[in-house]
Amino acid sequence: MTESMEVKKKISSNISRIASEGAGYVDARYYLDDSSETLLLYDGDLEANDTTVESGIGVRVLWEGAWGFAATSDPSCLDACFEKAAMNARTASRLVKVPLSMGAGEAVKGSYATPVEVDPFSVSLQDKLTFLTRLDNDLKEDFILKRMVYVNFQRKKVHFQNSEGSEINKDLVNVFGMIMAMALDSDGEMQRRSMSLYSTGDGTAGWEMVTNPELFSGHAARVRSELAELIKAEPLEYGKRSVILLPGQGHLQVHETIGHPLELDRILGYELSYAGGSFVDLDSFGKLRYGSDKLSVSSYGSIANSPGSFGFDDDGTPERAYRLIDRGILVNALTSRAMVNEANEKAGREVFQQSGGAARATSFYKAPIDRMTNINILPGNDGTEDDIIASTEDGIVVDNPVSWSIGSNREHFHFGCEIAWEVKNGEKTRVLRNPTYQGHTLEFYGSLSAVGDESTWKVELVNNCGKGEPNQVMQIGHGVPVVKFDDVITGERK
Amino acid sequence: MLDANIRKILMQVRDKAADEGIQATLKLHHEKSHLMRIGNNSVSLNTSENLVRLDIEVTDGRKQGSQTYLGAINDADTVQGIFDAAREKARMASPKTYDPIPDKVEVTINEDSQFDHELADIDPGIKAEAYREIIERLGEKYNYSGSWSSGSMEVYILTTANRNEVCHRGTDQLFTVVLKHTQAKWELTHNQTGWRASDFSVEKTINALSELISVYEENDGFKVEPGEYTVIFGASALSEIIAMAMYTGLSGRGWEEKQSWTAKFKPGDKILGENISVVDDPTNPKTFMFGFDMCGRKRDIFPLIADGEFMNLMYDSATAGKYGKKPTGHDTESPSIVMDTGFGHADPLEAVIDMGRVLYIPAIHYMNIPNRSKGIFTGSSRFNAVLVEDGKIVSPIFSSRVTDSFQNVLGNVKVISSVAESVNESNTYGRRAPVAMSVPSYIVSEGVKITDSADSF
Repeated sequence: MTESMEVKKKISSNISRIASEGAGYVDARYYLDDSSETLLLYDGDLEANDTTVESGIGVRVLWEGAWGFAATSDPSCLDACFEKAAMNARTASRLVKVPLSMGAGEAVKGSYATPVEVDPFSVSLQDKLTFLTRLDNDLKEDFILKRMVYVNFQRKKVHFQNSEGSEINKDLVNVFGMIMAMALDSDGEMQRRSMSLYSTGDGTAGWEMVTNPELFSGHAARVRSELAELIKAEPLEYGKRSVILLPGQGHLQVHETIGHPLELDRILGYELSYAGGSFVDLDSFGKLRYGSDKLSVSSYGSIANSPGSFGFDDDGTPERAYRLIDRGILVNALTSRAMVNEANEKAGREVFQQSGGAARATSFYKAPIDRMTNINILPGNDGTEDDIIASTEDGIVVDNPVSWSIGSNREHFHFGCEIAWEVKNGEKTRVLRNPTYQGHTLEFYGSLSAVGDESTWKVELVNNCGKGEPNQVMQIGHGVPVVKFDDVITGERK
Repeated sequence: MLDANIRKILMQVRDKAADEGIQATLKLHHEKSHLMRIGNNSVSLNTSENLVRLDIEVTDGRKQGSQTYLGAINDADTVQGIFDAAREKARMASPKTYDPIPDKVEVTINEDSQFDHELADIDPGIKAEAYREIIERLGEKYNYSGSWSSGSMEVYILTTANRNEVCHRGTDQLFTVVLKHTQAKWELTHNQTGWRASDFSVEKTINALSELISVYEENDGFKVEPGEYTVIFGASALSEIIAMAMYTGLSGRGWEEKQSWTAKFKPGDKILGENISVVDDPTNPKTFMFGFDMCGRKRDIFPLIADGEFMNLMYDSATAGKYGKKPTGHDTESPSIVMDTGFGHADPLEAVIDMGRVLYIPAIHYMNIPNRSKGIFTGSSRFNAVLVEDGKIVSPIFSSRVTDSFQNVLGNVKVISSVAESVNESNTYGRRAPVAMSVPSYIVSEGVKITDSADSF
């Protein structure tokens, strides 16, 4: 019997033991391998050449309506880890006003593997560096002072078991990439232009994404030329105008002002002491006008080569595809089993029919919380980017975030972007630097006046979504088209 | 202190590498963390983690590679395997265009002056009981959430440069409670920090929140129109502003690469108000004190701003190597930033008694930097924020956004509190790395730009 088989057997017997002692629910996630490789070329120097390898077990026990969790990196301490999780749950149950419940669950057996053509961990370091150095060379130009080429590869082999008889194996691969160039503008201030690896929603998620010119490796010349324009540009003046978000910026707008406020644990108040709450409450579903009729948003776990796709969540729920916002009306949230049960009980009616499969933990030593999967604005009928620009009298097109600051209940926001293109009477006229815009979430989405068609839709990959205590960094996808909002406050007051 | 067997194994692998002439650093991080989360007046999660991480970095001339392992470390073969992986990465790496500065444990240090057995082994039941008491005494009609993180961490570093060892063992905690009115939606909070179990007291939280509950219960929210205001920034808000100002202004890399708001200045120039002095002081007990950095360099008192003058830049090892500078002990996740106190009354309301209408913003939520070159930050008020008139709290304020520059906010400070407060700034995204700053309990700054506000808290 291999060591991992022995560990799995021990997990089974411990789950049975703790459940027979009276636990309402028990699960364990055994990470056989959680590897991450980061390579960073900074001005051509290899400043990061790091690999992290983690393995261990995380155990959750629900006891009289309260969660206990424990984790260990040492499989020889498995029994003690289960004992600790159970003890933590018993202690937690001393202060329970609102008992948590996983509801009735069925045994789920299955497996999921990210589709990969070339496993990034099978490519030699030499081959990777040869390729990345070529990319770095593509960024070189006399006026460019700083260059950055970054890739990160992740592999997670996870075995899940729970007290309902579920057994799931996941073999996940994520790939991230970014190129950036920086130069001084006419005021001697540093400007930057970057591009991150994205997905079209189809295909595979291996090293082949990095070498794909459309998705990543063919954008250096564009980054250079846009930076050259940016450093000669005037700053954006304060004023109200239309704002057209390219997917490089639109995905973060969706992430911060649709994704986070629709996490059910946040709506129920479980994140107040850290990330904040939500302006959405349980009465909002089916009633709240979140945006104009043009706004339809989905949570869709099946984008093949996105980190928001993982087959089964960490409650054992198979991934689902459903609408969060349907033609402007809020209809659903990002949910896990316990949160759905609590919300329905609290509301005294069935607000949510089933879990949305959004319980996710970033590693074996963190407990699952409600997370985004792939949160997408569905493509619309307003044509291409050029069509949307042509229909704009006075506005700016913006791309890629520099900064983001969101109100604690996600009711208002402020974004800074890398670049703006001024639009006057249907035409792009010039580049503007230091663009910012701000707004109030519902008013902003209410002003959504154009949604680009499928030709404008891209899946942006997010590697750094922070949430929870202890803090967790999660990987997510956002499919977004080009979108236009009207009467938005842009720039800063003098 | 550190498990003797692990210490022996690490030294054995170090010695072998040194004998082979390999340049390497071995860093062990061991944490025992506990966290209790509260949601909807209940314990929503009670979690424990016992984790050992080993980072090994190998330098081969101008080539470097590193391998981090989180798992069981019970034998020399495991450590040797991690070492070999790092060595292979270094061998295959592309060379840098500059000579990396080798890590070196300058002097053997064994520190545990901020380690408390009682906190390291705290019974989670004590935390649950504390929350129960707070909820019962402040009133069960409110919705309570919060978290209480505590734990111990050990760091042990060896380099092949010599057989010196540095070892740090410490404990830390951060207690937070949020009290929310379920209909009016306002939120109050209170935090406590420290490295001893005895640093926490239920009474402190009860007293702090009791004072504000009546203000929030008896007054409607006030919408602050955009404009310039005199603002009292509380310790939490101030620590965020100072931390961000130092990070974006006084890191060696940002300055060398002309990305920082100080890029057009040089040491000796006046960049902030002359009543502002900031130092990185690893001997200040209101911070979590680390006597060495992660490259083994001894950390000493390091002036950053003195009377508004730009004193020094913080150089990590990589930046120092690239730009031909000397590392300053700032390869650390746990700096000890300390801002000098002033002469203001201990009570901020007394300090503004003659200032008419003043906003009191104790904490800033979600701060970010839209323009690093200009040192512009933005963030919004959240907990415990109130409107003060003639030294009296008159109403709570709705969520309001501050978008201003460090130079304006820290260049127009009229009053600085005479009382220092410890603010926990720990980041637990990765490994346990306690960070605390010591800042005045408030400052009063004039002409602060409020750029937006909501109609709700």
